[in-house]
Amino acid sequence: MHSTLVRAQNVFGFFTTVCFVVAGLIALSDFSWERKPSSTVSVKDVQVVRGRPHYYSTKKEEYAHIRFNLNTDLSSLFTWNTKQVFVYVSATWPSNSTGPRDNEAVIWDTIITSPSADHLQNIGPAAMKKLVKSAKGKSIDPSRGKLNLKNQKAKYQITSPTGKLAETDDVVLKVHYNVQPWVGMLTWTPQVDFGGWKTMKGGVSKAFTLPALKKKKEEPKKATS
Amino acid sequence: MADQLIEKVRDAAEGQIDFEGQRFAERLATALLSIVGFISFAVGFFLQDIKLALFIGLGGAALTFLVVVPPWPVYNQKPVHWLQVPGSQSAGQGIIVDGKVIS
Repeated sequence: MHSTLVRAQNVFGFFTTVCFVVAGLIALSDFSWERKPSSTVSVKDVQVVRGRPHYYSTKKEEYAHIRFNLNTDLSSLFTWNTKQVFVYVSATWPSNSTGPRDNEAVIWDTIITSPSADHLQNIGPAAMKKLVKSAKGKSIDPSRGKLNLKNQKAKYQITSPTGKLAETDDVVLKVHYNVQPWVGMLTWTPQVDFGGWKTMKGGVSKAFTLPALKKKKEEPKKATS
Repeated sequence: MADQLIEKVRDAAEGQIDFEGQRFAERLATALLSIVGFISFAVGFFLQDIKLALFIGLGGAALTFLVVVPPWPVYNQKPVHWLQVPGSQSAGQGIIVDGKVIS
């Protein structure tokens, strides 16, 4: 510590140590809050149409267009270390091959940012202003975890590797989420309870059958699960 | 004249401090940074505000740099008093280089 340069080096060296320790504590602090998300998802309307994967394709595939209702309470996922929560809905149906795994395809997703990460959202200036204003003066905003979507159109139409999708049985919609923290590990929808982190309550729709091709028919009313 | 000026600038840039000052600076740096880290975590945790925690941490580190790095007079209060070389009367050190005594 005898000269300016040595002092600067020593102070910076210990500063990095302090940064690392504080970051570790922040990551660990995630465990001090309970996570008890719940959601209900139900199918509103399904139709299967034939289409091409891209404009010049000669192959025709079947695509399912799904409309759904979604009601979530993910407010317990928002703490000071939450940067954003990625919510997505997938459709799952049994594989008709002998493979052990079901087919699963994402039909809709969204990103919910914390107020501390609003500036990272890729949206226009007007929407950004509104978003920032919605959480003015708040460092966290758990109310953003409450989604209530009615008759929501899927973002992505889905098909299967075989190209055949009509009249598939036992299709269920599932809600998933990722919590992306500022410091620490990305966490996925837990499949088992882990301390205070509970599995998603609900979040699975009743099984439904995809309709036959080109017949635009309304699914019989399905109760929410 | 120019040599003296350069010497002065070099001394200022090097910023030597005495031994007691070195001990004090070391302890001060460790204590300040630890306290700043603790405060930034505690404030962020209880106010649930990670940006605040970040800025407290960075601000505190900048303050620590400002307090510890420059050779403040407080680090030079006990300069080492070297003993006189035995046999030499003058203030000069009496070092002999090439047969000549330089003062």
